Amino acid sequence: MSGGDRNRKKAPRAQGWEEAGAEFYQESYPSTDTDFDVLQRDPNQLTTLLPSKQTRAAATTIKRIRTTTDTKTFRRQTSSRSRRGSTTTRRASTTADVQVSMLPDLSENLSNEQRTWEEIMQIKALPISMAQKKEMKAKLQSEPNLRLQGFEQLKWKRRKIWKKFQTQIKESYSKLELWRNDLKKIEGNCGTGVVAYFLFIKWLLFLNFGIFTLVFLFVILPSIIFKDVAQCDDCCSSIYFNQTTDSNIVLDLVQGTGQMERTILFYGIYSNETFSYEINGTKLYYDLPLAYIAVTIVYFLLSLFAIVKSAAKGFKERLVEGEGQFYQYCNLIFGGWDFCIHNDKTANMKHKAIFNEIKGLLEIERREEERQNRTQQERTKLVIVRVFINIVVVAVLAASAAAIYFVFDYSTEKVKNFPKDSIFNSSIESLLYEFLPSLSIVFLNIIVPLIFSFLVDLEKYSPINVIRITLVRTVFLRLSSLFVLYASLYIKVSCDSENVSSCVSLDCTLCWESFVGQQIYKLVLTDFATHTLLTFFINFPRALIAKNCNNKVAKIIGAQDFELPKHVLDVIYSQTLCWLGCFYSPLLPAIATIICFLMFYIKKFSCLINSTPSVTIYRASRSNSMFMIVLLLSYVFAVIPIAYGIGELLPSESCGPFRALPSVWSYIVNVFSSSPTWLQSILFFIGTAGFAVPAFVVLTLLLYYYWAVNSANRHMVVVLKNQLVLEGHDKQFLLDRLSMFIKQQQESQKRLRHAEMMRDGERIVSSN
Amino acid sequence: MGQGKSQFSEEELQDYEDLTYFTKKEVLYAHQKFKSLAPEKVGHNKNAKLPMTKILQYPELGVNPFGDRICKVFSSSHDGDCTFEDFLDMMSVFSDAAPKAVKAEHAFRIFDFDGDDMLGTSDLRQVVNRLIGSNQLSEIEMQHLIQKILEEADLDDDGALSFAEFEHIIDKSSDFASAFRIRL
Repeated sequence: MSGGDRNRKKAPRAQGWEEAGAEFYQESYPSTDTDFDVLQRDPNQLTTLLPSKQTRAAATTIKRIRTTTDTKTFRRQTSSRSRRGSTTTRRASTTADVQVSMLPDLSENLSNEQRTWEEIMQIKALPISMAQKKEMKAKLQSEPNLRLQGFEQLKWKRRKIWKKFQTQIKESYSKLELWRNDLKKIEGNCGTGVVAYFLFIKWLLFLNFGIFTLVFLFVILPSIIFKDVAQCDDCCSSIYFNQTTDSNIVLDLVQGTGQMERTILFYGIYSNETFSYEINGTKLYYDLPLAYIAVTIVYFLLSLFAIVKSAAKGFKERLVEGEGQFYQYCNLIFGGWDFCIHNDKTANMKHKAIFNEIKGLLEIERREEERQNRTQQERTKLVIVRVFINIVVVAVLAASAAAIYFVFDYSTEKVKNFPKDSIFNSSIESLLYEFLPSLSIVFLNIIVPLIFSFLVDLEKYSPINVIRITLVRTVFLRLSSLFVLYASLYIKVSCDSENVSSCVSLDCTLCWESFVGQQIYKLVLTDFATHTLLTFFINFPRALIAKNCNNKVAKIIGAQDFELPKHVLDVIYSQTLCWLGCFYSPLLPAIATIICFLMFYIKKFSCLINSTPSVTIYRASRSNSMFMIVLLLSYVFAVIPIAYGIGELLPSESCGPFRALPSVWSYIVNVFSSSPTWLQSILFFIGTAGFAVPAFVVLTLLLYYYWAVNSANRHMVVVLKNQLVLEGHDKQFLLDRLSMFIKQQQESQKRLRHAEMMRDGERIVSSN
Repeated sequence: MGQGKSQFSEEELQDYEDLTYFTKKEVLYAHQKFKSLAPEKVGHNKNAKLPMTKILQYPELGVNPFGDRICKVFSSSHDGDCTFEDFLDMMSVFSDAAPKAVKAEHAFRIFDFDGDDMLGTSDLRQVVNRLIGSNQLSEIEMQHLIQKILEEADLDDDGALSFAEFEHIIDKSSDFASAFRIRL
């Protein structure tokens, strides 16, 4: 080998340390002699010889070494493969994988099919060109390998088939993937933060679709199949079902009244019967009320589970990231550019955005100092301003809540006062009154956030806090308006609690559940209609104005950013409505699914056509966790009234699966008490102190244990970090010494050689 | 797989599937994209070498401030000219399926302008300059920024980021994997 030749040549000349050093390196890193030559020329390259560098250098130096011999190249490659493999797979791998990568030399002799295959699979992680990869693969395949025996063989075969199956699934899935091209386009124009929002819409779409499937399979389908025939003439339900209805079909469609009310869209139609039918003499039962309530509980749990799972993922990432805000600069520099951007204009915006962000970060630092230096007077002034503005915000919230309440009151009065018998000749007017509450809520949702965003400017928060605070306030606005709606509905529906005996009380609706369902249904439609109108008929002309006119006024009117928080709220709001309504209107998830689907296109339109790329950077991870937290909040807001409705309110006498029961929950209690005794006793036991106290203690202990482990780890991190710094300094020091030493050696050698030459010269001269 | 007039044999596709993070379908799709950069040249020779300027016509690479660096890192001849296999390698690393560690490895090489296996001050300076494009940071700000970056990431305090340190940051950064990605 060339290295060896050189060594032999060197041997007589080189002396002392250098030789020993060379041999040391030769032994432990068999092919570093080329590097060592480099080192001789330039001692500062010494760092590249460090073992820690070798693992990576191996990969990058392949090309340099390839010029020597083939066998050597392969040796190098395999060693580099094993080392790289160990870093790439260590985290996710099983112990077997680690062993494979830890024992590279053994595996060369003892390779079997499985191991070879695993190694081939690892090639793709190597930073080398395709030709080399192919070469490696061919080499690995041509190596003689042992066939696996017996069970191992079976296991291995199964794994291989499974793998193949997975790739096939993946392939067919990618064909089916929804909105693939749309997402790519959005990504190219707006970056990953905005795409996270569209993925969120997609996520909601699937969630709603899942809920719909559940409801459809277990509630709607059975009640379509087993149409109940037995209708008593004198019970309350007949009064409800025989109500005379004559009105406009279009109005019915948008209001959910009239004939629409008697469809599967609303709660009222569902039967309270246990269906039974016979197959070959065995009787089968389907308990629709139980299915109804059970499905409700299941889809609420499902939603909670889905949200928590996604939120936890984001939360974990944030925790890892946020061992402080330590890596904000690095994140910005190394992860700042979205490689998916493919549009010149967006690229320019991105340059600008990153520039702003850098400036911003440096600015924050300065501001931090400034804040510490703020005078007492300024500080008190700012505190007063903030307190004042918060009071204003609360006042605005209260005012809008009151407004919704009064409007609702007013409109229901008006609707009721319409003469029942006269045909609605003023049906447009009545429609207006019907929709007045929904319209006012939507109107407030548009106006009040503008006020908030104006107010928040006065408070001088840092940019991130501005987004958060406006978001929280807007969430409160939306949810509180919903709450008010619910409260006023509650007042309306809880009026007949005194006279349970009679089916119809004077000023109450016959089927309040359907009435609630109608309200939510209307709200959903209004909300969706507003988004459509706003996007296509207000914002789109604005964008056209901004694009085509060049004067300043037009720019001010027309220019719009894609403000992520606002759009997020739009979607989350309609999701909240879906949750709120789906108990009283089981088809609402289907409507929500469709709305999500259309919403995607509406938002895409407003993102790509109406808005210019935003100068604010939205981080994908951060925005995702933000979505989930807000969604969780609104989920809680939606669950509370539903749970109250199920647990406490008296169901209508005349309609729905729970007629003639004191509450919906009591049905569950009845079912429970008719269940087998062993199940009852188990559940009762879970409720007693004998179970609860030990469970509590165990949980506390576990919590303590994890806390202790966590704090120990944290301490360890600090210690290791310090040690790393020390090691680094040591390394630096030793390297300096070493390179100095080598330089001295070289110089003394040179001098020696010089002296030798001189002596030789003298000898020659003297011999002559 | 019934690909009609595919330019690839089944064997080649299998090779590509094993050696990249793509399925066969995606490999073919990638080839279409590659072909669209220079239809007649690639039509003649499926693995034709395209000059860097051609490769940079790929929209994502064209606007990317590190486009030329990416080409150079993935080019098998190290001058930025890419064959289809190089292109496939590139897309494979940028794909969704590629693990973070692989992405980090290549990102490191992209950012390592002088090729000394360390991200030194001059590398960082170039990275920042390319990121902010036509905008300008003052010298003081730049120094301040670089000092901040090193403060955060340079664990052993030697004034440059080694690969281990870089990988450490990338591990902690939840955005990197989603940002360092090009959809085919």
